[in-house]
Amino acid sequence: MNDDEDLELQALQRRLDDAFQTTRPRAGFEDELWSKMQARRPVWSRAAEFVSGFIASIREAPAVPAAAVAVVLVVALGIGIIARSGVHFGAGGASNSSNAVPAEAVAGSRYAGTFGRLPVPAAAATSAAPKVANPSSDTGGGLAYANAYAGPVNVVWAGQFTVSLTNAPVYRYFEPSSADADQFATSIGASRRSGSYAGDGFVLAVSGTSPAFSREPSYEITPDRSKLPPPGPTATDTANAFLAAHGLVPMWPYTVTTTQIVDVVRVLYLRQFDLPGGGHAYLVDPTGERYGIEVDLRNSQPLQAQGPMLLYLDVAVYPIVSGDQAVRSALATSANSSASNVPTVRLTSVELVYALAIAGDHSFYEPVFLFSGTFTQNGVTYTKRVIVAAVGPQ
Amino acid sequence: MLTDRPPFEDLYRDFLGRIYAYVRAQVTTSADAEDITAQVFMNAYQAYERFEARNTTPAAWLFRIARNATLDHFRAHGRRERLRRTIEHQPVSEHDPAGMAEERIQYRALLAHVARLPERQRDAISLRHSGLTFEEVGVLMSCTEDAAKMLYHRALKALRESAREEMA
Repeated sequence: MNDDEDLELQALQRRLDDAFQTTRPRAGFEDELWSKMQARRPVWSRAAEFVSGFIASIREAPAVPAAAVAVVLVVALGIGIIARSGVHFGAGGASNSSNAVPAEAVAGSRYAGTFGRLPVPAAAATSAAPKVANPSSDTGGGLAYANAYAGPVNVVWAGQFTVSLTNAPVYRYFEPSSADADQFATSIGASRRSGSYAGDGFVLAVSGTSPAFSREPSYEITPDRSKLPPPGPTATDTANAFLAAHGLVPMWPYTVTTTQIVDVVRVLYLRQFDLPGGGHAYLVDPTGERYGIEVDLRNSQPLQAQGPMLLYLDVAVYPIVSGDQAVRSALATSANSSASNVPTVRLTSVELVYALAIAGDHSFYEPVFLFSGTFTQNGVTYTKRVIVAAVGPQ
Repeated sequence: MLTDRPPFEDLYRDFLGRIYAYVRAQVTTSADAEDITAQVFMNAYQAYERFEARNTTPAAWLFRIARNATLDHFRAHGRRERLRRTIEHQPVSEHDPAGMAEERIQYRALLAHVARLPERQRDAISLRHSGLTFEEVGVLMSCTEDAAKMLYHRALKALRESAREEMA
C-alpha cells in the first residue's frame, strides 16, 4: 500500500468515526423507549421495586407498624394487577350518556355501535423513567417537551376540572394490508417498484402500526430536491404546497405550528378529533406530546414528510368518567414516597385528548385525560404530565 | 455478582446512541432502526438479570443482542429489504445532487455505502466504528482478533472502492 492510499484509508476511517458518532435517534426517542420498557415490565418486577422502595422508606421512619405495612402492600399489589388487566374503573360519570353520535364524529367515519371492552392506551399505562430530562436537550424536536420530568413524583391536584363531557367518540381502524398500502401509494401517484414505492420525483415508504412507539400506520415521503418548485413565502406555505402537490393535506381537523431543529424547520400539523358540542381534542403520543404530520424543510425546501396513513375509521360513543374519578386516577399515579429526592408536583390543568390503543390487528383512538403541572427543583422548573384513561365502565 | 453490574439505566443512556447508529448503518429507514433498537433494549432489559460482567463487557453483550436483532430483521424482511436498500439509497442520490451534498454532510451517504457492503464486511465496519475493540468484534463474529482485523481492512477497501465508483 502506498502512502496516498494509506492516507485515503485513514481519512475514510475518520469519516466513519464521525458518521457513527453523529448518527443518533431523533429527539424524544430515548424517553419514549424507556417509558415503553417500564410499561412492559412484569407486575412482579414493579411490585418488587415498590417493596424495596417501601422498605427503604420504613427504615427512615421506623415507627410504622408492621401490620400497616402489610395492608398497604396488599392494596398496592392489587392496584398493580388490576391496572395491568386493562379494567377501567368509573364512578358513575356516565349517567347522562346517550348513544347519540356527535355529528362531527361521523364525517369520514362509520358509526359502529360499540366496540366492546377497550384496551388501555399505552399513554395511560406507562410508568415513566426515573430520570430528569436535560432541559438543554429537550427543546425542539416536536416530541420531547421542554423541561420534561419523567421520574417518579408525588402528585397533588390543585386545579379546576374544566372538562364537562359525559361521552365521547372512540375510533377504530383495522391494520391495513399490503393491498391497502398499494392503494394509498396509488392515491398519491406512487407505484410499487421492486418492493418499495416511487412516484415522479419522490420515493415513498409505508409502515404499519408500531407497537414499540404506539404509532399508527404511517408514510414517509422523500422528494427529489432537484425537482421541487420554488419555496413559498413562509415555511408553512412551502409545507402546505408540498402536501397539496402529493394529495396529503390532512382531512382531519388540525392546527399548525413550527419548530426549529438545528438547520431543519419542522412544520407540524397537529391532529385533532371532533368532540360532542363542537370542540376538538388533540391526538397525543405516550409522553403527552401532540402529533400529526411533520414536514421537515432545509434551506426552505422540503426534505421529508411523515404522517399517518389515511385510514377508514369506525366510530362508537363511550361514556366518560367523572372529573372526580379522573382526578383520583391521576393521584393514584403518585409515588407516595417520603424520600427527599422525590419531588411533589401540583397538577393544575387537565385536558381531554386522544391516544392510540393497539390491540393486534385493530387499534383505537381513545379519549384520555392529560393532567399537567410544574415544580421547581434546584432552581429549574420542570413540567410533569400524567395521562389517565377517560373511558368509563364498559 | 450484583456489584459487578452497573444499573441498567446507565447502560441504556451510554449505549442507546451507539446501538442506534450501528443498526441505522445496516437498515434503510430510521423507522426500522428505531424499531430494532427498541427490540434490542427490551430484550436486554429482560435478560439483564442473567448478564455476568465477569464473562463479557456490557458493550459486547449489548452489541451481540443488537447484531442478532438486526439479523432477525433481515431474515424477516429478506429480499424485500435488500431491494429497498438498493432503491431508496441509489436513485434519490443520483437524481438529486443538492440532496446528495447535504447527505454527505450528514454522513448518511457514507452509511448508505456501508449498508450495501456484504454482510460480514458491513458488520465488521459497523461494530468497529461503534467503539468495539478488534477482540470484541472477533468474539461477536466468531473469529480471531487477527481475522477480525483482516476482515475490517478488506471492508474498508471495499467501502473506498464503492465510494469511488459513485464519484466516477
